[in-house]
Order: sequence, then C-alpha cells, then structure tokens
Amino acid sequence: MQKFFSNKKLIILMVILIVTFGLLAVTVNIRDNKETPPAVQQVGNDVVSIVGGVFAYPTNAVKNASSEFSDLYNTYTENKHLKARIDELAQNQAKLKVVQDENKKLKQELKLNGTLTDYSTINASVLSRSPSSWQSYLTINRGTASGLKKNMPVMSGKGLIGRIIEVDKVSSKVELISTNNELNDKFASEILDDNNNAVTGVVSRYDSSSGKLVMENVNSTKGIKKGQRIITSGLGGRTPRGLYIGKVYGIKKDNYGMTNSVYITPAAELRNFTVVTVIKSSVSGGQ
Amino acid sequence: MNIKTRKIVGQVIFLLLAFYLDGLMKWAFLNNMNTGDFMILPQIMLMAIVLLTMRIDDRRQLLTYGIVFGLVYDSYYYGIIGLYTVLLPLIMVGIDHFKFLFVKANIGYELSIYFLALTFLQSGIYVLERLLQQTSTNVFDFITYVLGPTLLWNMVVFFILYIPLANLSDWLVKYRRESK
Repeated sequence: MQKFFSNKKLIILMVILIVTFGLLAVTVNIRDNKETPPAVQQVGNDVVSIVGGVFAYPTNAVKNASSEFSDLYNTYTENKHLKARIDELAQNQAKLKVVQDENKKLKQELKLNGTLTDYSTINASVLSRSPSSWQSYLTINRGTASGLKKNMPVMSGKGLIGRIIEVDKVSSKVELISTNNELNDKFASEILDDNNNAVTGVVSRYDSSSGKLVMENVNSTKGIKKGQRIITSGLGGRTPRGLYIGKVYGIKKDNYGMTNSVYITPAAELRNFTVVTVIKSSVSGGQ
Repeated sequence: MNIKTRKIVGQVIFLLLAFYLDGLMKWAFLNNMNTGDFMILPQIMLMAIVLLTMRIDDRRQLLTYGIVFGLVYDSYYYGIIGLYTVLLPLIMVGIDHFKFLFVKANIGYELSIYFLALTFLQSGIYVLERLLQQTSTNVFDFITYVLGPTLLWNMVVFFILYIPLANLSDWLVKYRRESK
C-alpha cells in the first residue's frame, strides 16, 4: 500500500480516469434529463457562439452564393416546369385562404384554442456544424431568450431536419434527423394517401447507405404508393401536425419478414441552406 | 504589454481561429449528410496544437491550452464534456515527452506525429462514446468509414497547409532568440 501511494504516475493515471468518466457520465445525464445545461456551460457556449457568428456570416454568404450559382444551371428546365404549375397554385392559394378563414371561424365557434396543427415559427441562422462523427449537431443563433425550448422540431426551407437537443441563452444545438442516436430521432408521422385513410407510423431510423429515412411500426401498407407525402402526425405530443418530412420511396420487409418499413426520401436536402425554422407548438402535450 | 504576453495572445487567437475553422469546414464543405456513409471530420485545431506543442517547451502552458481548448471544444461541438478535455492534454504531454528525440522539426516528423495524434484522438473518442452508448457503430465500420477518410483528408490538408502554419507557429513561439 505504501508503495502504491508513493507511485506518483499511477495516482495521476487513476485521477485522470476517474475525472474522465465522472465528467462524461454527469454531462450525458444532464443532456438527457435536464431542460438546459448548467449555467457555466450555457455562458461558455453563448460566448463562443457569438464570437463564432463573426466567422459564420461570411461563410454562409459564400455558401449562399455558390448554391445560387449552381441554381443558375437548372433555371431553364425548372422555369418550364414551374410555369406548368403556376395556374394551379393561384387557384389553390385562393382556396386555402377561404378554407383557413372558415377553419378559424369554426374553431372560434367551437371555442377550440389550439389544435395539433397550430404552431408559430422562429427563424434562426446556422453558425456551424459539429466536426464529430456521432453527434450530428448544428449550432444555431437563437436560444431561450427567443423562446426556444428543448425538443422543438426544426425545419429547413423544404422539410423537417431535426430537433433541438440543447438550449442556451442565445444559441442552441439542433440534432439532425439523420443521427443514429436512439433516444432522439423518432417522429410520429403519417402518410397522406388519396382516399383519406391515414397510415400512421414512426420515423425512427436513418439508413445512411441509401440516404433514406425509415418509417417503422406502420399499421398497414395497403394503398401506400411511391411518391405519397409523409407529414408529422402530432401524436407524439412534442411536434405539431402537418410538418412535411418527405415522400415515399418504397416498402421493405425486415429481415425476418415480420414488419414492414416504409423508406422515405427526405424533403430537406441537408446541404444547401443557411437558415432554419424552429417550430413552436401551441399545444404542448409533452410537459 | 510585453512581448511574451503578446505572443501568448497570438497563440490563443491562432488556436481559436483553428477551432472555428473546424466547425465551418464541416458545415461548408464536408456536409455530406443525405448520401454516403463516409464521414470526414476536419481537425485543423489539432494541427495547430501539434505544431505549437512541438515548439513550446513550457509544459504547464501546454496543459493549460489543452484543458481550456478541450473544454470549449467539448462544450460547443459535442455537448458532452470529457472527450477533448482529457485527450488533448494527454496528446500534448505525450508529444512534449518524446520531442527530445527530434533534433529539428521538419515536415516528415510533424506529419507522422500529427497522424499518430489524430489516430489516438479519434480512437479515444470512439472508445469513450462506445462505452457511454452514444454510438452503436462497430469497430470495423468506424475504421473504414470514419477513421480512414478522416486521416486521409487531414493528411492532405496538413501537407498543403504545412508551410504557412509552421512558419506562423514558429513566429508565434520563438521570441527568446530575438529578445536575448
């Protein structure tokens, strides 16, 4: 025993091991169970993110410019395609306006204050992406000061991209839907088909080799066709109804032939955006 | 401000820039999210740290850099504290311990030291995250899809950036000769 305590290097090694595992265990627990990280970490992250903004804005500008440049190539074919759709759009817009008004009035009549489809949005810009293999996080420049909370869903221009996993005062981290973190990548969703029988399930996995999202626990595969749209169903409690996730790509049975999984082409292309939208649900069931 | 403090401020700014560059590189160029399973992680800050460690002799200063930047890195990018916070100082002390073997730092030595440091760092992170069940990737997938591409990319970048970065860190550290 005497000899053991006189060996300084051994003691240092022991202390390092204890400190490492202690720190890791505590921080993982805090991240999984608490609403916000400890104050010191919040302040640190905020300071770092504010300074980081100085570098992030020029980068985002360059990114925007380069994506505009590549857009220019597709303009002609896209324009042709869009022209065909535009008449339809005007009609739909008018119809939507009428239906929305009607819906609002009916809700007032019924004294419904909030339903699963009600939400407000907050825009934020992306500061950086974490250079790590398994934490697919984006850092954005809004935090509790703007009313953000943990677990709010986040969209880019086209579709759902993930969920907020950590909020600080003026910055927060978004975990992307393509993560393989088992705790946090699940979204209750439904498939919109032509004849109004909703097929519900849970988007629960990301297949990284094909780049598709996988929807499991599907109640029936009858009537599911390629190209049908998938939205969040709002049944999870944390996510409002009607956020666009992607389109059906195909159906596969699992290895044992027991359950069906629907493969989804995600609507959000997680490369060419610099601004994200955080969705604040008016009905908060997850509390 | 005397010259020593000024040089230290310079070193801290150099490391900070490298720190931000990691995240921005990943965000702007290596953001292959929707397709492909290769994962490239830019590690510019580790480059800066290896280059500075080869030139700074004060072990206490090295440890301070390692712990402070490790903490910031963990907190900002990983959300879990204890990965870089522990591994960076270990790498720095390791390099400091064995650098007497090299008479003069040149690109060959520093490239191989960076290679070893990067391998150690990424494997360490993998082992720790695996133990804490933050990932379910198996060892072979990790080596093929994460470690391999990361090493390759970072080696190439190190090779390209070696001359400016090495000169900069020379300038940021070696003040004693001029002042004495």
